[in-house]
Amino acid sequence: MNGRPFYKSPGFVKGLSRRSFLLKAGLVTTGIFLGGCIRKLNPKTAYKNIKGSIKGPNAKAGHILRDKLPLPAPNATRTIKTLIIGSGISGLSAARWLKKQGHHDFELLELEDHVGGNSYSGKNSVSAYPLGAHYITIANNEDTLLTGFLQECGVITGYENSLPVYNEYYLCFDPEERLLINGQWQEGIVPDFGLSADDKAQVKKFFALIDELKKVKGVDNKFAFDIPIDNSSTDDKYRALDLITFKEYLHQQKLTSVYLLWYLNYCCKDDYGQKIDKVSAWAGIHYFASRRGKAANAESNAVLTWPEGNGWLTQKLAAELGEHVRKGNMCYSINYNQKGQVVAAIYDIAKGITSNIIADNVIVATPQFVNQRLFKDIQRGVDYSKLNYSPWFIANITVNRLPQAKGAGLCWDNVAYDTPSVGYVNAGQQTVKITDEKRVLTWYLPLCDHEPRVARLAAYTRTYEQWMGIMMPELEYMHPGITDAIEDVECWVWGHGMIYPAVNYIWGANRKAAQKPVNNNMFFAHTDLSGISIFEEAFHQGIRAANQVLTIYGKQPQT
Amino acid sequence: MNKKLHALLLISVFVVATCGLIYELIAGTLASYLLGDSVTQFSTIIGVYLFSMGIGSWVSKYFEKNIISWFIQLEILVGLVGGTSSTILFLVFESVASFRIILYSLVGITGILVGLEIPLLMRILKDRYEFKDLVSKVFTFDYIGALLASLVFPLLLIPYLGLVKTSYLVGILNVGVALIVCVSFKKEIKAAVYLQTSAVISVLALTVGFVYAGVITNFSESLTYADTIIYSKSTPYQRIILTKKGKVLRLFLNGNLQFSSDDEYRYHEALVHPGLQALPNAHNVLVMGGGDGLAVREILKYPNIQSVTLVDLDKGMTGLFKSNRMLLNLNKSSLLSPKVKVINADAFTWLRQDKKKFDFMVIDFPDPSNYSVGKLYTNSFYKLAKGVLAPGGIMVIQATSPYVAPKSFWTVDTTLRSVGLHTIPYHNYVPSFGEWGYIMATENPVYKKPAVFLPVMRFVTKESLNLMFYFPKDMAKVKTEVNKLNNQVLVKYFEDEWSSVL
Ligand SMILES: Cc1cc2nc3c(=O)[nH]c(=O)nc-3n(C[C@H](O)[C@H](O)[C@H](O)COP(=O)(O)OP(=O)(O)OC[C@H]3O[C@@H](n4cnc5c(N)ncnc54)[C@H](O)[C@@H]3O)c2cc1C
Repeated sequence: MNGRPFYKSPGFVKGLSRRSFLLKAGLVTTGIFLGGCIRKLNPKTAYKNIKGSIKGPNAKAGHILRDKLPLPAPNATRTIKTLIIGSGISGLSAARWLKKQGHHDFELLELEDHVGGNSYSGKNSVSAYPLGAHYITIANNEDTLLTGFLQECGVITGYENSLPVYNEYYLCFDPEERLLINGQWQEGIVPDFGLSADDKAQVKKFFALIDELKKVKGVDNKFAFDIPIDNSSTDDKYRALDLITFKEYLHQQKLTSVYLLWYLNYCCKDDYGQKIDKVSAWAGIHYFASRRGKAANAESNAVLTWPEGNGWLTQKLAAELGEHVRKGNMCYSINYNQKGQVVAAIYDIAKGITSNIIADNVIVATPQFVNQRLFKDIQRGVDYSKLNYSPWFIANITVNRLPQAKGAGLCWDNVAYDTPSVGYVNAGQQTVKITDEKRVLTWYLPLCDHEPRVARLAAYTRTYEQWMGIMMPELEYMHPGITDAIEDVECWVWGHGMIYPAVNYIWGANRKAAQKPVNNNMFFAHTDLSGISIFEEAFHQGIRAANQVLTIYGKQPQT
Repeated sequence: MNKKLHALLLISVFVVATCGLIYELIAGTLASYLLGDSVTQFSTIIGVYLFSMGIGSWVSKYFEKNIISWFIQLEILVGLVGGTSSTILFLVFESVASFRIILYSLVGITGILVGLEIPLLMRILKDRYEFKDLVSKVFTFDYIGALLASLVFPLLLIPYLGLVKTSYLVGILNVGVALIVCVSFKKEIKAAVYLQTSAVISVLALTVGFVYAGVITNFSESLTYADTIIYSKSTPYQRIILTKKGKVLRLFLNGNLQFSSDDEYRYHEALVHPGLQALPNAHNVLVMGGGDGLAVREILKYPNIQSVTLVDLDKGMTGLFKSNRMLLNLNKSSLLSPKVKVINADAFTWLRQDKKKFDFMVIDFPDPSNYSVGKLYTNSFYKLAKGVLAPGGIMVIQATSPYVAPKSFWTVDTTLRSVGLHTIPYHNYVPSFGEWGYIMATENPVYKKPAVFLPVMRFVTKESLNLMFYFPKDMAKVKTEVNKLNNQVLVKYFEDEWSSVL
């Protein structure tokens, strides 16, 4: 494979100190710049016929927060009871819950001109497609808040023998997954084709271990690994796993098969945007051991997905919110006034004007790397530098056909063994139509080969052609000849895609501090407070914060 | 005049004659492939062709000066028109309305041009031979050429090259003659360079046509079909191929036989009548798939039927069966009936929108050989189908072979039952398919075997029905899973079962 960034030589960027970070980052940028120049000088780039653009979250907003650009003084003030900042899944879930419990005096603020945050989606003439989150798995049965929501929006259509019946149009259509390995597409992503008996035995051993861990409970009779994670057992026996990396744990378990380790790296990249050496063992196991959902009409762990990915769930969460949502408005600072009310300074991005919102209480549903910039005088005892976010690159590729290779045909999730990306999903999987050959493939590349800050910086400076230079060789490897079938590639860069559960984050002091309300009128909700970025966590983060608000008003939150 | 030139001109006569006859044969063959009825086609084509040659001969007297140069231009033109004629005819065949006009015009033009050739050649040669020698030589070579053409065409050209390539090859020969004459008479003609260049360009153009002829009618494809391909088209959804051998037409979709005109009645009678005969009060019928209109033909045999809605994905299919004469003969113009409404839509999506109810439904999709089609055999689909079935109504599903693919067949049965339908499986023998299976499904167990069938029936009768309903041990029911969107077991069974026989 030569689809790797030019700087991906072994040993580059290792153990960066702060000073050398700047140096290396400079080098990376210069390198990319030079690379761009060289390509300009040599216009015979192989992918010059591919059209499209690079997009991402509002760059101006980031700029304002990061570089503290001067803004006009606020010229108006509004007073409300509850303010929610950020309309990602956490914020939407909080808003939905407040409304459901009869608390109507609230506003939901969002800087983008759309709701959804990392679960945002796009659409072109061929299909809708995800730009971030694209699936959930069926819910754990005891998670009634979640099953309640899923029933409310028609994902669960009823119950049979007290097991939920899932809407068959949302359960991932077969065939679900395939892996290009040893020259052939095999069914399923767990490596199998061409593995030695030894490797196969290790894969089996790992899954046997997971089956055990799925069932185990701590001394407090709670599951060792649960969703939301804060429901997990406090038993130190399991929590200690948060103090070592997943890699160390696997080593201790004598799981050394390169195929198995590739697979586990793939899974961690897929869920956390980082490899097994970066995430804690507790988190690595959680990915496998926390999902126990049972359905009347699907296997446990069954996937639920939509053409627009979790954009579909976003719309359902937002369905009843109407006037409460204010898009295109960013919060750029949060303070307290003398009465102890929260004063949020708001910038209307389109109009270029600012105003203040005075709120009795606030749910801050923005990530902590943003919050760090919002709070000037409010101390939370959080070491923000210890929160790590994985950058991601997403490409939605419109093709007019898919050159076929040996083995299993197109699935929902398509992965190639030992490549930098985590493969692509077929956005049109859930269509019942007999389609022509046109489809949109959503390709996911976690930028995890370097320290996030370096990778993020490099990602921001890369040109469209450079992204194609990274992506296309891998796609050509998966489907020789695909270049000619591509009509359009829409790129999307998430600089701070998702929190990743580094060692000692999930059960460490920092996360606890970040979750703590301030003055009993400022509450927090975001997946980075879980340490694991999945829909379910965001959903519960929102409800937890909303319940904290409701408690102020003496409402007994009902489930 | 030297010996070489002498021989050359006589060879030209020979080549010109061969080519001329081959064009005639190509036109005749193509017309009978595409339009059927070879006697009529051949005799009208030959008539028009000979008559046009007469016109050509008559016109030849108006050519006075520069005969050699005219002859060269003529050869180039014959080569181009004749060489591309079959391509043009294949391409315009879809817009059938104008097909005959184009066919006969092309035959006429080629005829006139070919008719000009021999008179002009004779005039070139007239000063070089004595008259009696001239007549005897030219006609001898002309007739030998004709003999060669009539042997080479069916024995070598059609089997190895196919029609389109043959045309291009013959065109190249014609232009080749022009080129040789041009070079040999360089000194006697004006604008030799110009003529030579156009001849070279034409040869190149025809060679390109020859090389890419495969795109027009896929020759390699024609090798995989036993019979002659008379129509082929790639629509966005499938490749449609129609073949003909003797009187028998066969339709293939993506290489899979859909029907053979000599025994399709067995299939379509079995598909429609056991159900529809049992519903004397049926008015509204829905057919999904079956864009060939053959099931509709059977349905229209009942006067009580007021409307038939045919939902087929592919406009290319229904269009073909609404316009091609041979196919209209076969489906009795069923798709043109005022009772029939053709909707080109995806059946699954179409069913998901609110629909009126139907008394009888025919679900006649291609076999579940891939995941796309497999969706049309799922419990989700049958739930929707059940939703549009009128009270007391019957739906019937083509369900592959219970003999070759028992698991597949009984999966359809299990899946229908899983959505609360009562099923009546049955089967019959269709020679070109083998033992074939169908399943009727109703909301309540109401089905009663009809006591009589329409007298026009060739296969289905009260007696044959008893046999159809009986499943011998080698096709007996097996236990299977329900086919669902999220497991697609049917596609897997189907692949397993058929791969062991194919
Ligand atoms: C590439 C990628 C793939 C993923 N795939 C999956 C998946 O398949 N399944 C899954 O469950 N999860 C997936 N995730 C995780 C996903 O992030 C979560 O499911 C969920 O969307 C997180 O929601 P959130 O509310 O916690 O955060 P966010 O989505 O970060 O929401 C924060 C919101 O606050 C807004 N905001 C920020 N600053 C301000 C400000 N100053 N003023 C106003 N508004 C502001 C943002 O615009 C955003 O809308 C994926 C994430 C990424 C990046």
